[in-house]
Amino acid sequence: MKNDHIIDLLESAPLDRLSDGERAIVREHARSCGACRRAYEAAQMAALMLKARAAETIETPPFFQTRVMAALREKQAAAESALWRMWRAAGQLVFSMVVTVMVLGAISFFGPGSAFQTEPQDLAAGYKRDATEQLMLTPDYSAEDVSDGQVLQVLYEPDDGVEGGDEQY
Amino acid sequence: MHEEASDLDLVRLARGGDESAFAEIVRRYSSRVFQFASRFFRQRSQVEDAAQEVFLKAYTQLDSFEGRGSLEGWLTRITVNTCLNILRSARRRPESVIADLTEDESTWLENRLADAAAERHQSIERSLAAADLADRVLGTLGPDDRLILTLIDGEGASIKEAAEVTGWSESKVKVQALRARRRMRKAVEALLAGRPQRAQATLESAGEK
Repeated sequence: MKNDHIIDLLESAPLDRLSDGERAIVREHARSCGACRRAYEAAQMAALMLKARAAETIETPPFFQTRVMAALREKQAAAESALWRMWRAAGQLVFSMVVTVMVLGAISFFGPGSAFQTEPQDLAAGYKRDATEQLMLTPDYSAEDVSDGQVLQVLYEPDDGVEGGDEQY
Repeated sequence: MHEEASDLDLVRLARGGDESAFAEIVRRYSSRVFQFASRFFRQRSQVEDAAQEVFLKAYTQLDSFEGRGSLEGWLTRITVNTCLNILRSARRRPESVIADLTEDESTWLENRLADAAAERHQSIERSLAAADLADRVLGTLGPDDRLILTLIDGEGASIKEAAEVTGWSESKVKVQALRARRRMRKAVEALLAGRPQRAQATLESAGEK
């Protein structure tokens, strides 16, 4: 027997599976060795406790099946709801992005100074309109005071002349 | 409705969304799941919660059941893993708890120790005090120790059976069982060392006979 006496034997298998010979060795040694006797007693108590514990079983309650199926439906509903919430949030995000793109597109196509409006003809027309409006809104002159010659001069004046239009009046 | 259907047919139908087929699986195997969950927990509510979680997991993992093993074995494995996870996430009880024995537990220990000292045969009994004590001691051990001791030393499962249930190799089961037995024995020795003097006296007088 090694230094740890019967301890290896006690730990090698459940007590009730030791052979008669092994049990005799354990009992014999436990009589003369205090530490091994305590270990043997503890092993016996442990075996009894575990057997008593194993004998306890909780029976299935009568409505367990219903409970599980209800929990399953609840879980599925929660998962679907989460998916729907995610989809709705994603939908809102996509919608706002589309609106933003459309607004930006509209601004870039139809806004002032856009390529769409700076076609040569339109540019000239816009130029004329601006200059005429400027002329008409000048506080010192009413519509009747502006002669046709002045209007034509403004309209056909080169760029510098238009910009400096105020100085001429 | 599906009472006559085989396990494989039930799984196939349940995968297709047939709730009544899954309800039949629950009906068929709930007692098995309860039996295993009872090894880990003693309170009815804990066992029921664990069993419900097992079936919810089983439903979501139905696609992973390949039909090579039995449905019962597959569900048992899910039960063991679920219960182990619940135990692992719970805090282990401190060892000091085992020092506070109830009167019933002390009496049971005294009587059994007297029997042991007198080398009287100790029959297996349905003792609440013994089961309480087992639970106290097992509560101080790790979940793996608890599982393997309950299976092998408590229920009498073989190494091979324990390996099938746990999914561990047989050599791991052997080593785990040996270590768990050692830890359990030491915990019980500590319990016995801390028991009231009256029990010591009973033991000593029995030992002198």
